[in-house]
Amino acid sequence: MSLNLLKLFEKACFIRAFEYEIARQCDAGEVPGLAHLSTGTEIADAALADALNPTIDRVTGSHRSHGLALAMGADPIKVAKEILGRVGGLSDGMAGTQHLIAPESGFLTSNGIVGAQVPLAAGAALTAKTMKTGGVGVAVFGDGAANQGAVLEAMNLAVALALPMVFVLYNNGVAQTTSAAFAGGSGSFIQRAASFGLNAFVADGCDIRLCCDALERATASARAFKPAFIEVGVGRDDGHYYGEQQTSTDAENGGGAIRAIRAQLLADGVDALACEQAKNGAENLAHTAIAVALAAPKVGRVELDRWISITGAGV
Amino acid sequence: MSAVKMTMATALNQALHRAMAADDQIICIGEDIVGGAGVEGASPGGGVFGVTQGLAETYGLNRVIDTPISETAFVGMAVGAAMTGLRPVVEIMFNDFIGVCFDQILNQAAKARFLSNGRMDLPLIIRTTMGAGDGSGAMHSASLHGLLASVAGLTVVCPSTPADAAGLLKTALKSSGPTVMMEHKQLYGIDGDVELVLPNVPFGKARTVVEGSDITIVAAAAMAVEAELAVGLLAQNSVSAEVIDPRTIKPLDVASIAASVRKTGRLLVVDEGAAFAGFADAVIAAVTEQAFASLKAAPRKLCPPDTPVPYAPGAENIWLPASPDIVKATQDMMGA
Repeated sequence: MSLNLLKLFEKACFIRAFEYEIARQCDAGEVPGLAHLSTGTEIADAALADALNPTIDRVTGSHRSHGLALAMGADPIKVAKEILGRVGGLSDGMAGTQHLIAPESGFLTSNGIVGAQVPLAAGAALTAKTMKTGGVGVAVFGDGAANQGAVLEAMNLAVALALPMVFVLYNNGVAQTTSAAFAGGSGSFIQRAASFGLNAFVADGCDIRLCCDALERATASARAFKPAFIEVGVGRDDGHYYGEQQTSTDAENGGGAIRAIRAQLLADGVDALACEQAKNGAENLAHTAIAVALAAPKVGRVELDRWISITGAGV
Repeated sequence: MSAVKMTMATALNQALHRAMAADDQIICIGEDIVGGAGVEGASPGGGVFGVTQGLAETYGLNRVIDTPISETAFVGMAVGAAMTGLRPVVEIMFNDFIGVCFDQILNQAAKARFLSNGRMDLPLIIRTTMGAGDGSGAMHSASLHGLLASVAGLTVVCPSTPADAAGLLKTALKSSGPTVMMEHKQLYGIDGDVELVLPNVPFGKARTVVEGSDITIVAAAAMAVEAELAVGLLAQNSVSAEVIDPRTIKPLDVASIAASVRKTGRLLVVDEGAAFAGFADAVIAAVTEQAFASLKAAPRKLCPPDTPVPYAPGAENIWLPASPDIVKATQDMMGA
């Protein structure tokens, strides 16, 4: 496996910069609701996207999926417009931050219901299997969702039907305000997944090489119709949603992940200037995307009426 | 057009066979729809009501998929498959079971097209059974068409004849949105004329079962059959009742119903669903808005009592509206 660490570093920096720009827009009152930022999952998001082929693979994500959608290659301006409720967003502002949909980039959908995206990825896996595309369905979910019936049922179903599916658990240690240790009865998500018959892997979201390697093995297993599970330790650097009082996680973790990959790059002989240039370039791109999105008109009656005219009112 | 007699179960089965033969993106998913999975020597039953008989033998186990008892997972899987290019027909054995997978219907299937702003189709059919009358008790007998129809984004159909069942299924199989096909258990075995080519029945188009001039009776599924029975009894008393079967619960053919009420001046809705905030209330509200000036009497509904479906036959029979109840309600309205 030949990793382009500089590219992954750049992508992780881009996600972080994008999210902090969104945070600034939250402060400015430009984000309609609450934004659940992907700060802390940048490395995991970049590594996962690197293991996938967006033309045949389909990913579903949780309410916290800005970074995942961007990592898969969703148009950052359209993502930003969607989050900001601007015309020209992915769904013209009908969907918003928790329902990003970019199947053209392999990002099938994120979800406002904790865990509900997981059976949807089983469907993508079923399509891949039925149509023999060679693709996989990938569900990304948190430690909170890991206790949802939808997730546990989907794990069993994937094994029973031999679906090409990967379950990716981002464990940031806390679901809203409740710790994973408190809520997870058995204490081991890996054991739980293995007991369903899933090929179970673990990875550290701060270690890009190990993370990529484990994700590569998990997806290879799924492509061979042995559904897989991988638990990736990640951070949640800015609370459940931006602006909420931080409850328990280490705020440095996500930043730490990016520092770790930078240290790895330096150890590999990439010079500090190249790292700095990559980071600055990513940040400029993020700033520009948000600025362009912000300049677009706000969604209103025209966009809603267009949808009603397509589907009609029921009665 | 040549027609043959067949049951609703057979008509649905034939529609599925023909559709699967013509389109290999159609797959069927559900519990025991093949039957006997993993059981040595078992012969496939083709579903508890036989609607999926012979599909697995003809189209293979990759397209006709028995699942664990995990409605959330397999309905969700069907939604995800519909998002990604397949046309799944997923069976929920009894409509009462939507309680265990409602998120995947309410939040996923119903909202996907909206949330994608129309970039994503959701060609999903949820086939399920409804209705009381066979002693199945409170958790296998409900009629939840009104509840489902209240969810924006879902099309809900309730056929009362074999021809309409096949025709509505054909339309659903060409639709780009999610359809809930509600098949009344008491109607599966009833014969009806079905055109050999299988008819097309568009969504949102009611069928006038019987023409009449004194009162409009709106009734779907098994209640349409009861209403038709009542018409003969009413005729003996010189009451001319018009029966309209909406066929599609949502979108509702308000125009046809309102036109009938403008002619008759009276509206009775007979429905097996909820007595409160149900389909009957929706029909009365819509007609009242559109044809108030034509009404000679207050519109009425005839629904079961606001309780779960009772088990013992003596209670279940009283609970269910039947033709004598329709006759009485109609006569009351004629006297009003």
